[in-house]
Amino acid sequence: MQKFISQQNLGHLLDKLIADGKRVVAPRMEAGTPLYGPFADSAGIVLGQLPRRSAKETFFPVCEDIMSYGKEGQQVTLTDVNPARFPETVLVGVRPCDAAAVPVLDAVFSWDYQDEFFLERRQKTTIVGLACTQADDACFCTAVGLSPADPKGSDLFLTPVEGGGYACETFTEKGETLVNSHKELFGEPSGAPALPLAEPQTEKFDLKKVKAWLDDHFEDPAWDSIAVRCVGCGACAFLCPACHCFDIVDEGTEKAGKRRKSWDACGFWKFTHHASGHNPRDLQPKRYRNRIMHKFKYYDDKFGQTLCTGCGRCIRFCPVGIDIAAIVSEISKK
Amino acid sequence: MTNTIDTSIYAAITEAIQGEARRILSEGHVSAVVGYAAARRKGSAQPVVITDAVRAEELIFSAACVNNLAVYLTKAKKEIPKTGKIGIVVKGCDLKALVGLMGESQLKREELYLIGVPCAGVLASTAQPAQELTGDTIAPKCRECDAHLPQECDFVPDRQPATPELAGKYRAEIARLEAMTPAERWAYWKEQFKKCIKCYACRQVCPFCFCEQCLCDRNKPQMVETTPRPAGNTAWHIVRAMHLAGRCAGCAECERVCPMDIPLNLLNRKMAKELKELYDYEAGFQVREKGPLAMYDEKDDQSFIK
Repeated sequence: MQKFISQQNLGHLLDKLIADGKRVVAPRMEAGTPLYGPFADSAGIVLGQLPRRSAKETFFPVCEDIMSYGKEGQQVTLTDVNPARFPETVLVGVRPCDAAAVPVLDAVFSWDYQDEFFLERRQKTTIVGLACTQADDACFCTAVGLSPADPKGSDLFLTPVEGGGYACETFTEKGETLVNSHKELFGEPSGAPALPLAEPQTEKFDLKKVKAWLDDHFEDPAWDSIAVRCVGCGACAFLCPACHCFDIVDEGTEKAGKRRKSWDACGFWKFTHHASGHNPRDLQPKRYRNRIMHKFKYYDDKFGQTLCTGCGRCIRFCPVGIDIAAIVSEISKK
Repeated sequence: MTNTIDTSIYAAITEAIQGEARRILSEGHVSAVVGYAAARRKGSAQPVVITDAVRAEELIFSAACVNNLAVYLTKAKKEIPKTGKIGIVVKGCDLKALVGLMGESQLKREELYLIGVPCAGVLASTAQPAQELTGDTIAPKCRECDAHLPQECDFVPDRQPATPELAGKYRAEIARLEAMTPAERWAYWKEQFKKCIKCYACRQVCPFCFCEQCLCDRNKPQMVETTPRPAGNTAWHIVRAMHLAGRCAGCAECERVCPMDIPLNLLNRKMAKELKELYDYEAGFQVREKGPLAMYDEKDDQSFIK
């Protein structure tokens, strides 16, 4: 279904959704940083820049309680978190590089173990994607087979058009339901041409070739030269729309506490540190190798997908300038 | 009126660094040189470790050479072989960290070959690497730099950096926070720490965070909540600021790399200010065994004991 919505009506739509008790999540400023977060009203929405953290936190929060415990005398009580209580959510203004990562994450969270925390939020969320009109030289969505206008992962996709407003296209039943339940705010397609889309400058990777090299080069001196400068923080994984490793810890006292799930990163020294004291990934190049292998080989082996959407956040915010686009491009030429 | 900062000396400095690195590598004075090399993105630079004199031509110095390379010499970085003497490219601010590390017995002067850089400033984390260095794009720490010319290095290209007068941002921001009520100040930091995702980029780039295992990574017993939640985040940043008091010399790497824009160097500068007022101590100028928080002196102010 193709429609048109004005800038003003998009604001009205969000306000109506909020009034209907829906949780509306969109990019806004938080203590000076653009981040996705829930809105109380449509004022303050910032669609002009890519939020610092990706949209994955809508489904996979930075940290969440998954159980609580209490102990009184010999009596121990365990209380589960009930995912059925998660609110219906509309996620708005999601760039293609963020939206495309969501179906990639579906694969792992619904594989041998059904992660009810992720899946319940996923099922209750409608994603309103937004075509991208600005790229810098860290962007590389086109290199991994996506594009600034790719609706992958979006239920409803908005493309800004000349003269203001957005051309809308629905791609799923969720998207159609959203449009149909607020018909009065949508018009017929205006026919106005789309604003010029972003043009990422990176050349397309030959992902088959990249994987073929990775298949044969678990051991290779290249890993040392690539990652010798890596300082082992988690910035790349935490900003990534597709990285999904998490840790589970119990925090509290003997009397009461919570079991919590929070983001983890394979760059950390303790990620594979065994209780015995042995660490199979004892040096940073082995950890960085895992990052590349997971994204361009393991995930492909397991799910037939690439675990990277080219958003460029890991490049922009790597403390030591490690550039995954440059690394993969070099691998594809080997 | 233009507020462009003259970085024309960086081309000559690049050439001099290359020449010196080539010489010390080929003559066998050092086993490796840690420096900067150009990277893919326009104007960008990244740390590089060079062991072969032929590769000395990769070395550069530009306003995009933001990293404090001292971190690569600490025991936190096991990947860099620390055999023999190591050459390292240092700005004045980076040198302060090396001086501190020597004082803490992490490095020996005689095992280092210091290639000092006369520096007019580097880019802020908010600037794109290809941007010109101006009063707007310069890193906040460079606005109040007192070490444009690194002292007592083994080699410093003979150039004089342009050092325009720029208003210090940290001083003004600390004054603003000090003028707040404790409740207002608490609210400010609470909002900042709420954004923290515990990626530990601040810790990993810090030359002084060289512990084999960080206290904040321990889970048996758990000293600080490891999950990224307000209480544990606040605890982490306070532990960090206290642990660096009297040691941090202000390279501001923690703040530069924070992907959540938390103004971490403000905490470090505030602690430095306190140390200056209480003990007339400034980190990073002399190799000393212990900072004031790690020693007792009979002349110490004891008026707080009531």
